[in-house]
Amino acid sequence: MGKATINKVLFIMMLMLFLVLAACSSGSDDTGDSKSDEGNGESEDAGSESEKADGKIYDIADFSPLKEGEPMDGGNLNFGLVADTVFAGTLNYNFYSDAYDSEVIDWFDEALLGVDETFTYTQDGAATWEMNDEGNEFTFTIRDEVNWHDGEPVTAEDWAFAIEVIADPDYDGVRYGDVTSIVGVEEYHDGKADSIEGLEIIDEKTLKMTFKQPTPSLLSGGIWTYALPKHIFEDIPVAEMSSSDAVRVNPIGIGPFKVESITPGESVTYTKNEDYWRGEPNLDSVTLKVIAPETVTQALETGEVDMVHSFPTDQYPDVEESLTNVEFLGRIDRSYTYIGFKMGTWDKENNKVAMDLENSKVGDVELRRAMWYAVDNNAVGERFYNGLRWNATTLIPSFYEIYHDDSIETPTYDPDKANQILDEAGYEDVDGDGIRENPDGEELVLNFASMSGGDTAEPLANYYIQAWEQVGIKVEKLDGRLIEFNDFYDRVGNEGNDDPDIDIYQGAWSVGTDVDPTGLWGPNVIFNYTRWEDEENTRLLEEGVSPEAMDLEYRKEVYSEWQEYMVEQVPVFPTVYRSQLVPVNKRVVNWDIRQEDSELYRYEVGVTQDEPVTP
Amino acid sequence: MEADTVEIVEQKSPSSLSILLRELIRDKLALISLIFLILIAGFVFGLSLFLDQAEIVTVDLFAINAPPSDQFILGTDYGGRDVFGQLIIGTRNSLAIGILVTLISGIFGIAYGVVSGYFGGHVDNALMRIIDFFMVLPFLLIIIVFVSMTSNYSIVSFSLIMAAFSWMGIARLIRSKALQEKELDYAQASKTLGTSNFNIIFKQVLPNITSLIIVTMTLNLASNIGLESGLSFLGFGFPEDTPSLGTLLSYARNPQTLEFRWWIWAPAAILILLLMLSVRNVGEALRRAADARQRRG
Amino acid sequence: MWKFIIRRLLITFPQLVFLSVLVFIMAQMMPGDALTGLIDPTITAEALDLQRERLGLNNPWYIQYADWVSGLVQGDLGQSFRFKMDVTALISERVMNTILLSAVSLIFTYIIAIPLGIVSGRYNDSPLDSVITGYSYLGFATPIFIFALVMLWIFGFQLGWFPTSGSVAPGLESGTMEYYISKLYHALLPGLSIALISVVSTIQYLRSEIVDTKQKDFIVTARAKGASENRVYNKHIFRNSILPIAAFFGWEITSLISGTVFVESVFSYPGMGLLFLESIMQRDFSVVTSLVLLFGAASILGALLSDIILSIVDPRIRIK
Repeated sequence: MGKATINKVLFIMMLMLFLVLAACSSGSDDTGDSKSDEGNGESEDAGSESEKADGKIYDIADFSPLKEGEPMDGGNLNFGLVADTVFAGTLNYNFYSDAYDSEVIDWFDEALLGVDETFTYTQDGAATWEMNDEGNEFTFTIRDEVNWHDGEPVTAEDWAFAIEVIADPDYDGVRYGDVTSIVGVEEYHDGKADSIEGLEIIDEKTLKMTFKQPTPSLLSGGIWTYALPKHIFEDIPVAEMSSSDAVRVNPIGIGPFKVESITPGESVTYTKNEDYWRGEPNLDSVTLKVIAPETVTQALETGEVDMVHSFPTDQYPDVEESLTNVEFLGRIDRSYTYIGFKMGTWDKENNKVAMDLENSKVGDVELRRAMWYAVDNNAVGERFYNGLRWNATTLIPSFYEIYHDDSIETPTYDPDKANQILDEAGYEDVDGDGIRENPDGEELVLNFASMSGGDTAEPLANYYIQAWEQVGIKVEKLDGRLIEFNDFYDRVGNEGNDDPDIDIYQGAWSVGTDVDPTGLWGPNVIFNYTRWEDEENTRLLEEGVSPEAMDLEYRKEVYSEWQEYMVEQVPVFPTVYRSQLVPVNKRVVNWDIRQEDSELYRYEVGVTQDEPVTP
Repeated sequence: MEADTVEIVEQKSPSSLSILLRELIRDKLALISLIFLILIAGFVFGLSLFLDQAEIVTVDLFAINAPPSDQFILGTDYGGRDVFGQLIIGTRNSLAIGILVTLISGIFGIAYGVVSGYFGGHVDNALMRIIDFFMVLPFLLIIIVFVSMTSNYSIVSFSLIMAAFSWMGIARLIRSKALQEKELDYAQASKTLGTSNFNIIFKQVLPNITSLIIVTMTLNLASNIGLESGLSFLGFGFPEDTPSLGTLLSYARNPQTLEFRWWIWAPAAILILLLMLSVRNVGEALRRAADARQRRG
Repeated sequence: MWKFIIRRLLITFPQLVFLSVLVFIMAQMMPGDALTGLIDPTITAEALDLQRERLGLNNPWYIQYADWVSGLVQGDLGQSFRFKMDVTALISERVMNTILLSAVSLIFTYIIAIPLGIVSGRYNDSPLDSVITGYSYLGFATPIFIFALVMLWIFGFQLGWFPTSGSVAPGLESGTMEYYISKLYHALLPGLSIALISVVSTIQYLRSEIVDTKQKDFIVTARAKGASENRVYNKHIFRNSILPIAAFFGWEITSLISGTVFVESVFSYPGMGLLFLESIMQRDFSVVTSLVLLFGAASILGALLSDIILSIVDPRIRIK
């Protein structure tokens, strides 16, 4: 029987393959690249790429955030949007909520005001501004040369219109919170007023905004600076704007490039806007396409894309040497990871934090501090992220160079110290099982909520649990597993339904342009998942946005104090700061990955040759 | 669990089972496959008794993505976790789910089919409409929806979810056989003798379709193992600290892992291939044995 | 015949209603909603709550369901929370991609499976047959996602013969020849990946059918009458065996659905399968429900189609 024979042979071959494989791997002597104990990495030349890479530690300070050079005239740039989904296609700053959409919009539209390195508004943008002495009235003047892509001038009315649309009860975007600081917006929203009191159109190019109260936050991202072309949108009902063709099919803006064509969710092509107010762009055209995170390296290598908006940093060590046609730009990212302690619930009636230290297992500050000492975040950064994440110190990440206070001493890995604190605080191992009981002699088991997703989520959570166990604190994963993204936020209290089972959680925040941390750690914000509050904290947070804090030095001082206070109280502790890497093809010049205080504007980016450099 | 079922069957109907076994032994390929399956199953279930799942998924910060070595027979993954240990536990979990789903769906399907076929008439009609409905469900999508809904599931509840959408095939098959069987003399005779319906079904009709049941369930086993690994691959299976063959395979979605770290995913891929081939070889041999026309001389 | 079709369609209707209720309730029970993903300190919680209220996400499920159904009756599948556009429009953007992908893989399946099946059946137990059977054994054992991944890696990345993501090259104008060629080009590799795995069952079926038919009386008679071997195969055996394959066409649709989910996800091919996975992750309930419903309807119609074809080609099967 021929068929059976061939099958038999096939089957036996595979069986052998399997055995050989097992044999190969167990006998390390015959294989060249499996030396494990001696000579970690560096010395070995051929064979295992990864082993070599894994030993290496990088420092974000070694990366430049920008690349300069002399571009040729024209050319096309291929830009990769790294996403594992399509982009939603709501291509207008006033309506988008999908982070990928904003990457698409950035190419063809821009804010009316520029910002400096402290994220404070400057006079370099498409509009200039003046502030009254009290700091609650702003007068904006849009530059004459600023036009929409269809040639119509950008007017004060366009700007006011954007705010009116956002304040409209039918508005379906998520920006309402950004405009409520203007006098009269809430009345307009509730239908009590026909117009917004705080908006005054002085002439075609001049707009005056009156705010409820002066605060330094207004100057750092607190003003809505995106206009909406009224001549296009005025006939569209507000509820239908975000699904209209003016947003999805042929959106316009004031940026250096115009949208030429859109393949929904997949790609966008742009041509240069010769009429751009800063000057004519270097490039003739830009092509943006979605690239899956799994395939980004190959796409860069073949020159399919010249650069991407963000690169999965965990892939960097593997590709650093093989991607010779690419230069990696880098900077400190605006996000940080933290461990939070649950100390209460959310009071839905009064919309505020309901702290309850008595009934919280982590209500004791000494316990929290000891847990901080128990974890080695430098090792986490080096081992999991090859140094591309590193030990975090305070809750204002070093992304805010001005406000981050690096003189503050924060707990770093010291298990002896952790043990000592716990001993002193009365957490003794009463029954001798190697696990500490609480000061009342009761068993102490903490539930740890951590999100799934991402390559390192699981090992990272396990690492923390192991580290705490080393000092005798028993921590278990909530439900014995990682929590799916949506479930995690539901249970940690995103809508105020806090799960009482959670004692500790690991979260991450990506911070905005305004340094003010009230939105995350204030007593009245739902995002303060710890449900911790205290007078001093509230006082400092309020102080930071008070009129006096318009003075930069004073504001710095307040936030230094706040950072230090949070280190003392440990309602949360930051674990690692992150870095952002952006690979750009060698032919790309004049690109700066910083959004604030950029030395190079987007219209200046260019290429040095027609074809991408390939290895 | 499986052993139990086989044992019971053996008492009731030695003849058909022994024919199956004889055929299996005669077919060398199937025999090798069967031995391989038993070895693998025995190995992973046996070894996993001694392996501590918590220890396997323990993070070792100083051995991340290590290639195979003396310490780690199959190297480690990005969490510094031993791949060999994960492979053993993963195979056990995958097999356990596959067997569990097959048994649950098999038992339910058989009961459903026998009842429907034996009673016929309106009962049959109603039951078949329900099956028709289930048959057209886009079951992969529904399982994914189900899994995202119940955020906290164990091996058993996961198997239940999968079984809920995979019992229809066997139910249909058994029904048509039961329809035929009950018309046969012996069933009719028992009925006139006043034997209860229950007894006729379980003592007489069922044993006569044993071989068919075994064959179908064996083949189902292969597809259930495949389905589980597929779901894990898409990220709707088990979390990483409950490894399965599918989770190990899903690491291959990272191109660096695919290209440079074969030890993480290749063993799982080969193992799943071998498991599916073996199960199928056994199943096909059983089918041949059950099918008198094709019995080898 | 017509009676049968109409009756089947009538049964379909309650099936779909039940399916929609089931999926809708399950979707509601998932933790989180479409706005959970928007946790960003620059977006205030109040603004999110305003949108929840506006979208009716705070209503109990039966009110949401009633809203959804009343829209459905008017041909409106509701709004996608994430895309902020009509689900109908969103799906129609994607449905063509999936149909194209399915068509390509079906065509490949038949092009590959029919010749192989015939050769394997006609020369059964020859070395050639053994090779083909061996292939179908391997094909059976290989999970489609692993196979697709390997295909992507070899032909997409290593050899660079095919595009590795997307459904069309950027910047091509819809309606031009280049646009359609590019679409087809993008669908080739994923389609082929599905086909190479799904041929297995067709080959095996065709083979055993031919082997069976060979020994049937009428073939023996035809041979005895002196018909040439080719004539016997082409005229009698082939025709007899191929018809059931045609009837399986409808049922192929059901298996294609699961195939496209995996393959679209591996190739980042923006079809309905990928949309489904994304919508599940993003809790875009209206899209999830609509897609399950659509896929359900497709498989019901597929099964119906198969029954009809089968009753035409095989008079033994009477439709009641």
